Amino acid sequence: MAGNQNPISAIDMLTSALRSNIIPNQEYLLQGSVIDSSAEVLHNRLRGLCDAAETGPETFHDHEMCFSLKASSPGGTPQQQQSFLLRVRRALDHPEYPWQLRYLGQPELGEKNQPTVLRSCIDIACTPNVVEFLSELGCRIEFEYVLKGYLFRKGRMKVTMSKIFRMGQAKSPDSLEAMTGSYLVELSLLAPSGQDAVADEIKVFAEQLRPLVHLEKIDYRRLQSYS
Amino acid sequence: MQREEKQLDAALEALLQRINDLKTSIRTLLFRLENEYASLSWPSFLDSYAVISGQMNTLLKVMKNDKTPLLRNLIVLPLVLSPDPDEELKQATEGRVVAFSHDITPDMLRTKPDPDVEQRQNQFEQRASQVPPETAQKQINALNKVVNHVLEQITHSREDWENEATVRAAAAQTCVMADTHTLIAAVGLGKNLKTLPIAAPAQPGPGRAQAGPAPGKTTSTIKTTIKAASQVHPYNR
Repeated sequence: MAGNQNPISAIDMLTSALRSNIIPNQEYLLQGSVIDSSAEVLHNRLRGLCDAAETGPETFHDHEMCFSLKASSPGGTPQQQQSFLLRVRRALDHPEYPWQLRYLGQPELGEKNQPTVLRSCIDIACTPNVVEFLSELGCRIEFEYVLKGYLFRKGRMKVTMSKIFRMGQAKSPDSLEAMTGSYLVELSLLAPSGQDAVADEIKVFAEQLRPLVHLEKIDYRRLQSYS
Repeated sequence: MQREEKQLDAALEALLQRINDLKTSIRTLLFRLENEYASLSWPSFLDSYAVISGQMNTLLKVMKNDKTPLLRNLIVLPLVLSPDPDEELKQATEGRVVAFSHDITPDMLRTKPDPDVEQRQNQFEQRASQVPPETAQKQINALNKVVNHVLEQITHSREDWENEATVRAAAAQTCVMADTHTLIAAVGLGKNLKTLPIAAPAQPGPGRAQAGPAPGKTTSTIKTTIKAASQVHPYNR
């Protein structure tokens, strides 16, 4: 998705961050889904609520590969070994855009009254040979998928509606198979750590999308057992 | 006779009470208009109006009450007029009427509207009477037609809205929790994505990375994990 962002704003963000020594590396996140038949309604509502209503949302068509790097602990079984994931994403619709390498930390649900999930998030633009580089480092690809959808902005908030596709056997972008009959909806905001006030802003926006889509804090630990 | 007088007293007392309430509300509204016009919000303004309208209603109710004697059957008869200031009267009218004099009394006791108002009303009435009856009837018919049409449309629209609302309530299912979980588990943890053969199209890198595992076998995950781990080790010291 970063690939679809306006490169100027990315550079602006980077320079201003470097100047002030502030890195927006905390992602405030709420997630939900909307079934395909209601996706258009949500699309229209988001168009109305978000910035640049006249020009409409940006679309994206991305391919994400998820690499894992296992840090082996002595005597640990493979399951106990700690691993962390690195995500490489490229824009299929814009091959000229830089690729994106993303690290996502463990999502923290925090207190019950904390409005959003909080996770650390570091994005960096890179060149296509990042895949080779990661492989050389010993990373192995864990899974990959294709996303297709819309990106909306509302101030600092980012709303994405994305359809998730499994890569087919043929390994070509044509043989995509949708995971579910729903769009994944994510509402996120990147901010430097300690700016918890923005979480309420996100919560308020999420309330405006009810009951069309329920954006919630999703507990990843519970999803581990979910099949 | 005495009973009637008592009733009249009670009714007047009640009316006075209501009128005072009304006066206070109007005064408050005026005060707010003059002093808080910058910060006054429309809803609170409407609230003030609602209060006044409610008080008007109670006032009318009191007047129509069975226990209130018919006020129109009563006459106020001024017995003495005096040009001298009257303290009591001044107090009772909050300083508006100083003396029960010849000048003021006809105005205070008048039962007709203000001359200005009366004149304007007469003008309107005159204009209305100048219209020939056929034209008036035509206009009345036309207006009735338009109003009926509008009414019909509103009723129709309301039916539509209500139908829509019920339909929407019935088809409220716009999101499925199971789908949410499936999607997030897939994107976040790779659930249901891992077992597939993994290779990026047109990318040599990932293809090489998955050289080990046999495609499509679930048991291969653990095996490759060990393999990958032993591969990782030298880099990770």
